Amino acid sequence: MEIIFKIIGISLITTISILLIKPTKPDIAMIVGLAGGVFVFFYIIDLIEDVFGLFNYIMEITNLDSKLFTILIKMIGVGYITEFSANLCKDSGNLAMAGKLLLAGKLVIFVMAIPIITSLIELIVSIMP
Amino acid sequence: MDVEVILKIAGIGVLVSVICQILKQSGKEEIATLVSLSGLIVVLAMIVDMISGLFESVGHLFYLF
Repeated sequence: MEIIFKIIGISLITTISILLIKPTKPDIAMIVGLAGGVFVFFYIIDLIEDVFGLFNYIMEITNLDSKLFTILIKMIGVGYITEFSANLCKDSGNLAMAGKLLLAGKLVIFVMAIPIITSLIELIVSIMP
Repeated sequence: MDVEVILKIAGIGVLVSVICQILKQSGKEEIATLVSLSGLIVVLAMIVDMISGLFESVGHLFYLF
């Protein structure tokens, strides 16, 4: 598990170079932060694939329908990418845009959850006498 | 590969800011703004393909496409 040291190194170097550039060139500093975030994500991709492999295994064992599982993973993906860009906007000082991004992310996730909610409610109605 | 790109972008930023300071001192304000603009464009050009790679891998990983 030495990958965590590489990630820590990258994030520290990114933070230091941001602090170096921020007073004179805040725009390029924000782009350095973006680049650092992209590289950290490229390191955790295979970790995420292991986790999803576990989910697949669980789905096969309990033979639930995989539609539910793909919707769940899509939500996680939307949540992650929205959080990534919202924090980036917050870092560069634009709190208003970060709030709007988070609101939009929540709405997209909720819209994705609509079929699950409707099927749940239909199930409950069918159970009720 | 990754730390080099970060340090390269940081180096461009430092270089552009130094050049802008020098140009400002010597009275060439408009050239300073042009230099800072071009530095920003160069850095954006470098970051654009990385962002497309990020969205590509996020899409494939989370079945978003």
